[in-house]
Amino acid sequence: MADKSKAGKVYPPIVWEVERGKIRELVSAIGDPNPIYSDREAALKEGYQDCPAPPTFLTVPAMFAGSMATAVVDLGINFAMVLHGEEEYEYYREIYPGDVITGVPKVMSIEEKTSKSGRTMDMVNVEILYTNQRGEKVAKARTLIVERK
Amino acid sequence: MELYFEDVTVGLQMPKLVKGPLAKLQHVMYAGASGDFNPLHTDDDFAKAVGMTDGVITHGMLVMGFVGQAITAWVPKKNLKKFGVRFSGMTKPGNTITVTGKVIDKKASGHTITCEITAQDETGDIKLTGHFEAELPSRG
Repeated sequence: MADKSKAGKVYPPIVWEVERGKIRELVSAIGDPNPIYSDREAALKEGYQDCPAPPTFLTVPAMFAGSMATAVVDLGINFAMVLHGEEEYEYYREIYPGDVITGVPKVMSIEEKTSKSGRTMDMVNVEILYTNQRGEKVAKARTLIVERK
Repeated sequence: MELYFEDVTVGLQMPKLVKGPLAKLQHVMYAGASGDFNPLHTDDDFAKAVGMTDGVITHGMLVMGFVGQAITAWVPKKNLKKFGVRFSGMTKPGNTITVTGKVIDKKASGHTITCEITAQDETGDIKLTGHFEAELPSRG
């Protein structure tokens, strides 16, 4: 059961250097053939400064840093009962190879809800605001973790 | 062909994208690429032990990745401002995922369009629903 007293808690920042190969690996796993993600020339031609990170790239720093796992453990959530309910991104700037991005995870809210079938669940909203090495906001990721009870 | 704000009308369908059938190998690739090493997605024995009778299930974020592919094949990545999904069903190896989308709103200020998106399998079972917002260039 999620510890509701921890709403508002901020976790240590995720610092992640964006590698060209990691972008290519992610689009290759997705099977996305769009050349802007893997061919620098194609990206420049389309008006980018380099190969941009694809829309769901921010799952990479979050997963490798283990920030969700850290939050789940700290919040006292039972891992076996966790569902990934929602994921949402807001994009402010492109993320390019060589960028060093820093994400600060924050627990926005923890609410108990009851489903139509009468089952209770804790809905935990975590936001990670990412900035780049110039201090510019690049994106915000919001994850809804659902803990079934 | 560049998509302009003026060419988009409410109700316009995004070109659909069909992905699959999904293979377990793609789960392994996605685990390594994304860093999501939850064995629920790659280890049949583990998945069965936690109640998945057919074995592993697909990473929800891989299915969201398919939707990202569909969106940025239609709208340039740099125009995408917001993208969110709600996961509603489990995807399994062998499923073929079809991503569809439709324009539900457009705002002249900022030349912004809002679209709803759905990913479903070959039986029509919905895996996720969501939305995105994009700012499109204007013919001015």
